[in-house]
Amino acid sequence: MDPIVYGQTLISGLFLGGIYALIAMGLTLMYGVMGIVNFAHGEFLTLGWYICFWAFTLDGIDPYIALPLAAVLMFVVGLAIQAVVIQPVLKAPFLNQILLTLGLSTAIVGAAQFFWGAQPRTILVSYARAGMMIGGVVVSYPRLVAFIVSVVVAVLLYLFLNRTKTGKAIRACAQSRPGARLMGIDVQRMFMLTTGIGASLTGIAGALLGPTYPFMPTTGGNFGFTAFVIVVLGSMGDFIGAFVASIIIGLAEAFGGLWLGDDVKQVVSMGIFVLVLLFRPQGLFGRKT
Amino acid sequence: MTTSTRADFPKLDASPAPRLKAFLRDWDSVEMVASLLIVGLFGLSPLVIKVPYYLNMIILTALFAYFGLAWNIIGGISGQLLIGFASFVGVGGFVTMVLLIRFSVSPWIGLPISAASSCLLGAFVAFLTLRYGLKVDYLALFSLALMMILKIIAQELDITGRASGMFLSFQKDSLINMTFVGKVPYLYIATGMLLLGVVIQYVTCRSKTGRYLVAIREDEDAAAALGVDTARYKTIALLLGSAMGGLGGGFYAIFSTYLDPALIFGLAFNVSLLIAPIIGGKGTLIGPILGAILNKPLSEWIGGTVSAQRPGVTLVVYGVILMVFILFLPNGIAGLLRVPHERLRVRLRSTERLRNN
Repeated sequence: MDPIVYGQTLISGLFLGGIYALIAMGLTLMYGVMGIVNFAHGEFLTLGWYICFWAFTLDGIDPYIALPLAAVLMFVVGLAIQAVVIQPVLKAPFLNQILLTLGLSTAIVGAAQFFWGAQPRTILVSYARAGMMIGGVVVSYPRLVAFIVSVVVAVLLYLFLNRTKTGKAIRACAQSRPGARLMGIDVQRMFMLTTGIGASLTGIAGALLGPTYPFMPTTGGNFGFTAFVIVVLGSMGDFIGAFVASIIIGLAEAFGGLWLGDDVKQVVSMGIFVLVLLFRPQGLFGRKT
Repeated sequence: MTTSTRADFPKLDASPAPRLKAFLRDWDSVEMVASLLIVGLFGLSPLVIKVPYYLNMIILTALFAYFGLAWNIIGGISGQLLIGFASFVGVGGFVTMVLLIRFSVSPWIGLPISAASSCLLGAFVAFLTLRYGLKVDYLALFSLALMMILKIIAQELDITGRASGMFLSFQKDSLINMTFVGKVPYLYIATGMLLLGVVIQYVTCRSKTGRYLVAIREDEDAAAALGVDTARYKTIALLLGSAMGGLGGGFYAIFSTYLDPALIFGLAFNVSLLIAPIIGGKGTLIGPILGAILNKPLSEWIGGTVSAQRPGVTLVVYGVILMVFILFLPNGIAGLLRVPHERLRVRLRSTERLRNN
């Protein structure tokens, strides 16, 4: 096969990886800080995408202009969900927590079907196919922007978690809840913030997918599925691990799709999932327990 | 003060009144007898009910109660995070359908093979996710991912009819092919399966394994510290539940004469499997049956009225019910019934103590 195809696949792999990173970082953050596996995380992405869809079809707002709007709206949605449904089950058995987020994801898929129909939708922007040629490989602008923005967001979030007082407080909650409370950290507030950030990241991802990716109410679930594999591969709760694993999985799916067909690219992720569970269940960066 | 459950067994030499009291004190047996009564009513219902629509509802109620019992062994009694139960049901369905349609193998042989196939899949899942020391969340993540992958695989394979799925067409009754024009034979099979489920669950619960499973659910580390091989008992529960799911899936496919990968491995079907044990009370014996009875008319009503106008309503209602029950009534209806019983139990014990003194 000629190198141009490989180059093209590399580009779509990086694009996918960037989007996955935005989703998986929030998921892994929520797990690390609260111990909650949010099965509705893919559905948060669905909401983010449809916010941009509505902004575009109702008001003609470009997805890139809608990006901050989606981020802020999803932040608020995250706060609301945290306060109303997640906070009350934080001390409940794991099964109850998981069934709750499963119920949440079901309700969101249903709501998306109700408002936007079950058929695939696209945001028809004029520049969807715009791009530049580099050595025969088409680099589409929306994909390039998506990758750059996701890397920038990841770096900003990393700096936030490591350099600011609030970020450090969030990480303290992840390390020890009672310890953090003894240090005078408002743990509840940090939890709110964590879910808000996680949801907000999916809002950004939704806006970045907007110009190029057709969406239906169950599409978010597919991204959510891949995000599960990523957080396990990158060691659950590990922020940098999630980013690295996202790029790995993005590339693996892109090349897998090239060889196996695009419909079955998730089989590659599943294969990786099985291998990780078999040989490195603590993930790439986890220490053996 | 706590008494061991063994002491609650009825004593044979007791006179009828204390025997009744002893029976009432052992809530498990009350739930068991009530379950058997309901199963009996299901079995006798064709004597009174002749309308196919209602018979259909009873069959589905019995079947989803059975699925609920199967999941309950894994999720309710041993508290494992298996949330993608549709994988096992779907695999069972496809095995029976493929055997019948492509190879003309009777479902009477196909159903046990379905159970075995799903059990094998359960063994694979257990091998990957239930080893000691792994994060418990892995089972949840993997079971849901598995559903998605099975859907993709079924949609890609010719033998499972690709994206359009499989249809079973027939003109006349055939006992060998388990195809009937009327509903009543299906109802007897479904009731028989429910009876099987009730018995299996009861026996499991009352056995040593059942006690271990509850101990694991309540505190896995403590159970392990006491020497319970937690991975082994969790695996047993998973294998049992998945085999039951596979058997039921096979029958479900034959009964509905139609199998669509996107539906059977889909989110909505999976939630409809979980909703009965959660409404009724996960971890209780009768919960899945009560839940199925409550859920069926509800889902029929939604399907018939609201959902016809706008898609998605069913999912919203299911999602909200799931959340509301987990938030406000995590032990379901049966859990609610246990409260007055506990009170009765305390009163019975105190009167007995008074008399003895």
